[in-house]
Amino acid sequence: MISVSDLFIHDRLPANYYASDVYVRGDLEMGLLESRRGDRLLSLPETLIQAIYAGLNKETGQASRLVLFNCGRWWGKNFFNRFRDEVSDYYGTPLVEMQMADFLQALKQCWITYGLGKLSLDQSYHDRGFLIVETHHSPFARLATDATLPSCHLEAGIFASVFSQLAGRELHCVQTRCESMGAESNLFVIGLQKRLEPAEVLVEKQLDHESILPRLFV
Amino acid sequence: MQSPIDGIFDEAENRYLKPEELQSIGQYVASIAERMSAYRALRDQELELIQQAADQLQLEMPGIETAVLERAVKNGMLTLRHCGMAMLLDDQNFVQKRLLNWLKDSIELHQTHGADGAFFGLMKQRVRLSLNAQQMALLEPFFNLVETVIPAQEEEEMLTVAGIF
Repeated sequence: MISVSDLFIHDRLPANYYASDVYVRGDLEMGLLESRRGDRLLSLPETLIQAIYAGLNKETGQASRLVLFNCGRWWGKNFFNRFRDEVSDYYGTPLVEMQMADFLQALKQCWITYGLGKLSLDQSYHDRGFLIVETHHSPFARLATDATLPSCHLEAGIFASVFSQLAGRELHCVQTRCESMGAESNLFVIGLQKRLEPAEVLVEKQLDHESILPRLFV
Repeated sequence: MQSPIDGIFDEAENRYLKPEELQSIGQYVASIAERMSAYRALRDQELELIQQAADQLQLEMPGIETAVLERAVKNGMLTLRHCGMAMLLDDQNFVQKRLLNWLKDSIELHQTHGADGAFFGLMKQRVRLSLNAQQMALLEPFFNLVETVIPAQEEEEMLTVAGIF
């Protein structure tokens, strides 16, 4: 028989760390929004994202995709550090030792509370060396206008960075479906750079996710 | 997050409260003593009633994996704590926003519908023995909310392939 009192960690039962009303706090006298650990948060106006898109496009043209991807990587690196510290402290378990399901549950709630939309993971291709992330209601897709190619470069950069750090080796991420092109969700394929290179070409050729994925398995 | 009572106070700059709004504040205030005594009962008997439900679950599901059992007990305990607090505040949003999305993910990701449903049922039986009818009536609406996420055991059993065809 189990003893219920043994289930407490330091007399508490960790639950939803990222519950939005608990996670987002503010020091209004100082004009600050903060997380429950006291890290600074900012709310970002949609028009600023639009302005960044427009400005980058005007100044750098096609290269803006790469610029955004690299910004995403940098953001993802710091996002991951914060996420790792928050989650490991709260659950009392180092992130690398956490069960995948617990990790994913925390990441999903975090994504929601940050206002980035809904996120889920498809691990059915893990034996082929790929992981699929699906997001809904991405702010970065919503604000991209006249898209002919997937436009969540910032998110792709974040995922590349987050999963690289989780896996302990350099991974790449290619978006293969995008809400900005009228799709119902965004799909991102994560894997080794070398194995994902064909995907980038196929996305440029406007192939859809279902056609791209099997071609990566060779 | 805002409780229904909080919402009433939002328009101070526009108008005085309507009679029905004052009435709902009155009803809440009148129910506070009972809410607090129910909350105290839950707090004081938590370990005992959860332990009894956990022992019962092990008797009913002798082959249950320890990890699944522990998760079901923890989810049950968290549910009871959140429902208790929500009852004290009389705020369904408290359960909805803090617990339900998270609990739904937990059950789906770990595929523990059966154990969670069974434990929740057993825990409810124990809670019914610990509270009087009036207190149970205050807590019940929050349990009903949780049931939208944790399917009752009977329904779960019907959902087999053989049951569909």
